[in-house]
Amino acid sequence: MSQTRTIMIECLRYDPEQDQAPHYRTYEVPFTDEMSVLEGLQYIKDHLDGSLTFRWSCRMAICGSCGCMVNHQPILSCQSFLRDYYPARIRVEPLEHFPIVKDLVIDQSDFLGKLESVTPYLVPAQPLTPEDGPNLQTPRQIEDYLGYAQCINCLLCYAACPQYGLNHEFTGPAALALLARYNADSRDAGQKTRMAVVNAEEGVWGCTLVGLCSEVCPKHVDPARAINRNKINSTQDYFLRFLMPFGRGS
Amino acid sequence: MTPAPKTYVRPMNRWWMRHPAYRRYLLREGTSVMVAAYALFLLAGMVCLVLGETAFNLWRGFLQSPVSVIFHLAALAAFAFHAWTWFKVMPLTTPPIRFRGQPVPDRMIFRAALWAWGIASVALLVLAMRFL
Amino acid sequence: MRTRSHEPIVWSLFGAGGVFAALLGTMLVLIIGILVPMGLGFGPEAMHYDSLRGLFGHPLPALGLAVVISLFLFHGAHRIYHTLHDLGIPASKKMMLACYGSAAAGSGVALLLAGMLVVF
Repeated sequence: MSQTRTIMIECLRYDPEQDQAPHYRTYEVPFTDEMSVLEGLQYIKDHLDGSLTFRWSCRMAICGSCGCMVNHQPILSCQSFLRDYYPARIRVEPLEHFPIVKDLVIDQSDFLGKLESVTPYLVPAQPLTPEDGPNLQTPRQIEDYLGYAQCINCLLCYAACPQYGLNHEFTGPAALALLARYNADSRDAGQKTRMAVVNAEEGVWGCTLVGLCSEVCPKHVDPARAINRNKINSTQDYFLRFLMPFGRGS
Repeated sequence: MTPAPKTYVRPMNRWWMRHPAYRRYLLREGTSVMVAAYALFLLAGMVCLVLGETAFNLWRGFLQSPVSVIFHLAALAAFAFHAWTWFKVMPLTTPPIRFRGQPVPDRMIFRAALWAWGIASVALLVLAMRFL
Repeated sequence: MRTRSHEPIVWSLFGAGGVFAALLGTMLVLIIGILVPMGLGFGPEAMHYDSLRGLFGHPLPALGLAVVISLFLFHGAHRIYHTLHDLGIPASKKMMLACYGSAAAGSGVALLLAGMLVVF
């Protein structure tokens, strides 16, 4: 049994019915070595202040709902441990760049719209029925997109991206990585539809390669790579349409 | 249906203070000011070269001054940092490269780029010593 | 329907400039600003008027110099344009014209000068 210590958690509070702007409240939280930041927040809710609002579900870095900022770093609170911050106090805030609904809860509807815009599903070349049998792939074909397919939509990358914060038109890291994920899938024939999103100002061209999105991703999706490789594709598409007017232009 | 809740959007002012990665990014982008300034400096040299010997000797004489040495040391730092960061992010932009069926790791691409940097630099030095 | 960005044009120039600046920039600055003025590896006659007029009287070196200057300018213009946006000065047509327009103007001057060095 590990010993109990006490850490100061400074938490952003915002109640849309009471507050004009957010403020901070500090809580003294006893913790043991195995306690995550999420468990620290749960301790506050259970013992100190039941009104503290935050999202969580799986507690094992797979559902993607407990993302927040700790000391300005976007993290999954279930995956970060209080012991790693102690003895310093920690400041917990909702994910940056999103509208705050209440306390640590943000409104992610803008992202959901963006996710929809990249056609995030397989578009088969011909309509398939169960009678066509399984859509087979080689291990090598799976390898082409498997990394990008790990996204859990936790939005840490959007919180890390100043370009998204400065301009909400930007499609953003996770959606553009998922776009690359479906484009890279051998079973997919939807590249042409998605190319219009890639080529737009608010597509890959909204990115200036700050690169923090890839560093904070808990699933190592590497959106920066997905986006910047598509800059090459978009450039090719831009110039090649003059050479091949009946070919790949969109 | 209930109306959408009143949300709060935090301002973006001084966003670069929030994370060291943002300051590194701005420093990287900042090297471009030096790259452009150096292009203008070379352009001024070209103008002087066209204008004639008297004008060119002014430009050439400036190279000897302490101001020029400070300017060039700053430019040297900026170009070196630019090169380092440019090669560092290069693997993110290059299409996937495979060697004998295996994807080439980023650090190999970075290392190859550093070699190219060295070779290009030596080649330029040799050419300069031969022709200047 | 989304409108296609024209960014590929300036991004290509920015990228080419970035590669040139990364591969050659450091040594270029070192030679011109440090080695030649201090006489390290270079004689006192290095980079004098006659030798440079001779060198840049040939079309290839003259054009090469103009291209390097032009690409450096576009590289700078592109990053400065986006960084100004990052620093809170909103991207606008005017700002775009100021940044890329200066780079284009500088490139024009460089090419003109290169031509003059070769012809005269």
